[in-house]
Amino acid sequence: MSTLKRLKRREEIIEGALKLFSKGGFYQTTIPDIARTIGMSVGNFYNYFTSKEVLAKELLLYISEYLGERIRTINESDATTQEKIRAIVAMYFEMVQSRPEMIEYFLRIFLSNREVFGEGCEGTVCVSAFITEMMLFFDDGVSCGDLREQDFFSAFGLFMGYLGGMAFLCGEKVLPHALDSYVDSITQNIYRALKT
Amino acid sequence: MHSKPKALWLQGLTCNGNSHSFLNHPQLGILMERFELLYHPHLPCTLSLEAVVTCMHECDLLLFEGAFEPTMRRAGVALERLLEHYGACAAQIVAVGSCASFGGVFGSSGGLDAQSQAWSEKIINLSGCPIHPEWLALILSGFAEGSAFALDAQRRPKALYAHLVHHGCTRNEYFEWKVDAKGFGVNEGCLYYDQGCRGVLSHGSCNRILWGGVSSKTRSGQPCFGCTESDFPRRDLFKTRKNMSIPHEVPLGVSKRAYLTLAGIAKTFTIERLSKDLMDD
Amino acid sequence: MIERRLIERIEGEAELEFEECEGRVAYATIRFEHMRGMERLLLGREGRDALVLTPRVCGICGHAHLMACVLALEDAYANAGHALTLSPKAQALREATLSLEMIQNHIKWWYLVMSEELYALRGFTPPKESALRGAYGAQIINRAISALAGQWPHNSYMIPGGVTCDPGALELLQAQTALFEATRFVQETLLGMELERFLSALTCKEITGIQSDAGRVEAMLLELGMQEKGRAYDRFAVLGSHGFAAPARLRGTKTYKIDPAQVHTEAAITLRGESMARNALYRGTSYETGPLARALQRGDPLIKNMHRRFRDSTYTRIFARLYECALLLERTAALLRGVVLGEASWIEPPPIERISAEGVGIVEAPRGPLIHRVRLERGIIAAYEIITPTQWNLASAPRERPGPAQKAMEGLHVSEAAFVFRSFDVCSVCTTH
Repeated sequence: MSTLKRLKRREEIIEGALKLFSKGGFYQTTIPDIARTIGMSVGNFYNYFTSKEVLAKELLLYISEYLGERIRTINESDATTQEKIRAIVAMYFEMVQSRPEMIEYFLRIFLSNREVFGEGCEGTVCVSAFITEMMLFFDDGVSCGDLREQDFFSAFGLFMGYLGGMAFLCGEKVLPHALDSYVDSITQNIYRALKT
Repeated sequence: MHSKPKALWLQGLTCNGNSHSFLNHPQLGILMERFELLYHPHLPCTLSLEAVVTCMHECDLLLFEGAFEPTMRRAGVALERLLEHYGACAAQIVAVGSCASFGGVFGSSGGLDAQSQAWSEKIINLSGCPIHPEWLALILSGFAEGSAFALDAQRRPKALYAHLVHHGCTRNEYFEWKVDAKGFGVNEGCLYYDQGCRGVLSHGSCNRILWGGVSSKTRSGQPCFGCTESDFPRRDLFKTRKNMSIPHEVPLGVSKRAYLTLAGIAKTFTIERLSKDLMDD
Repeated sequence: MIERRLIERIEGEAELEFEECEGRVAYATIRFEHMRGMERLLLGREGRDALVLTPRVCGICGHAHLMACVLALEDAYANAGHALTLSPKAQALREATLSLEMIQNHIKWWYLVMSEELYALRGFTPPKESALRGAYGAQIINRAISALAGQWPHNSYMIPGGVTCDPGALELLQAQTALFEATRFVQETLLGMELERFLSALTCKEITGIQSDAGRVEAMLLELGMQEKGRAYDRFAVLGSHGFAAPARLRGTKTYKIDPAQVHTEAAITLRGESMARNALYRGTSYETGPLARALQRGDPLIKNMHRRFRDSTYTRIFARLYECALLLERTAALLRGVVLGEASWIEPPPIERISAEGVGIVEAPRGPLIHRVRLERGIIAAYEIITPTQWNLASAPRERPGPAQKAMEGLHVSEAAFVFRSFDVCSVCTTH
């Protein structure tokens, strides 16, 4: 099998697993379930991932890189700090709607099943692409004088906790308006909270 | 027998730190035997300063220490005049120390090479506050041998300044694994993240050619202050500038993304050996 | 008529201006032309930046500036209600490296200045190797400083709360070995006798006529009558507190109290031209500072004996420096032997941003008391003043009350006066800084 085809197959597993995990939960979903969804034999599945735990970590890396890649584009644009905040918020909300399984996975599976990720995925290693880009965003913001100097996690928690909370409310169908109608007000709130 | 090359040590605004540092060379006598020393602020020499400032003598090698202030007078003669004369006759000019190379602590008008187009091709910048005696010994020996040195963009010999102060630092492993020093006065931990160390940002051989043959700033727990670079002395020398915990400057030539990626990964592991005191069991 | 004489190789230059009467100096003034404005460079910077910048006042006694600076910062901490405690180890290391710098200064001064000038004054060519011997001795000592403080010149290893280094057995041994080597050099080449014998001598007789570099210098000094020449006021000041010195004012060998707050400066005056220097005074009176002042304060028997016979002559002044060199070699060895390696090097002080206060740091530098005064506002330097030892000795004051070096030159031939001037161990860069 060509490398390209193999990579495509691998991505199919990841995408399929993401959907199943976010719908049925991590423990309830089995490898045969995943294999069946994408029309693959269980034996062949193990050619790609040696266990469900390994797959779980790969998913996290996959999402982190997916998010990181998008934030990187924003970081590398000429936008102002406030415009960048807006772009990150909009991108995240867009993902909540178009790829809910990714955000679900991030919020529900990763955060509530930390023990799965123990060895080899300590701290932030599996989400490093995403964290790195957020660090670069904050670093730029402080460097150019827009954002106030403070501890990274204080700022990161405010930013991502806020977005995660909105995604949660959206998922619980608590929000009276469409998620994207909150982009401007949330951008304002984040910017005001972090600016110099 | 050929006559020895004539060396002249001239000073602008200076603390004499470079001339004193040079006296620390363990083989000073052997080194200087190859030159006729016309003038030096401490060593025996053939001319008095009053004779030097008549500009009736010529030198082959001009060693200039201190910041160049054109109107400053030495023995009643403006530095501009002295440099014009000795700069013209010298085959090579060595800017000894950071004041002469870049303006340093005392210079407001930049380094020696900014003063005249005519000399700039002859200048070797030996930055550092002060220079290490062996750095100057290398240039002196090279001059006596007639060998040329490859220079970097700031006219510093690559043999000395291609390296970073980081190279040879005993704290390198702590840097690699992102184990930060818990404060001053310890041999454990890297001084880059909190204590302002500029070893990964500064060109120099301080940890390759040890001071007094035995130590260096970082080995004795001091951050590198970046004294070999043109922006010395920077501000806030004992702390690292950070933006939301992220170092404002990362190792030379490394992108911040690359640095943060690697640092993020390294930080996730706790290496027990590196988190202990060196002398602990 | 005014005769001028350029004095060079004194860490820069000075110009002496002499008013003569029948070929002898009636009144001399001292002019320093260069100034760098170090104090101004410090304003607006974080307090600890001064630990990096002030050593750069001087290439030969920068370490004394470092120590005066760190003491001034620590005094500001204390005045802001945060008195810092140092470990005995940190204190011993500071004192040791300060002493080492003093030793290398004295060795250099002896070989590169005094000895060379004496030979010239006697019309001889100095032995070719003489200056290199001085550089050798100093180099060994500077290796000892480097082993503990990273490098010399221009380290910044003293910081509020202690020192940055944490020497192990190896570094301590490197320092001790260098000190041992330097001691052997001083004994065999400079003194021509064991330190102990030199230091325990009670009279000049015991150290006179020795075949050594010191012996040769002594002979020339006597031939020139330097035991009768170069006397100033016989009035001395010591301000620093160390194992080797305690604050005192002295008239002859009688000691009086001294209050550092009474030290002030005035503009130097010269016969012609303008000097960038300022004179340091104690309540309007000038005092001699340096090794002779310290030797009399300590009551070193040999120097007291010299002083009784020759008062504050150039001869006594020169030997006081040599004596101090030997004394510090012995004391520094003892200091290093007493270092307990396990102790803390640094005890973390509160962040300097919290400190808004004034502070004064005083040390005895090679040439006498060195004072740093700082005012911090939220850790930022709002004011900085440096008063150096040479500002006392080389004060250039009106003829009614000449400074110590001015006084010492009176009545001498110009060439001798220039030598006597150098006997104060002149440092041009410190005087104006």
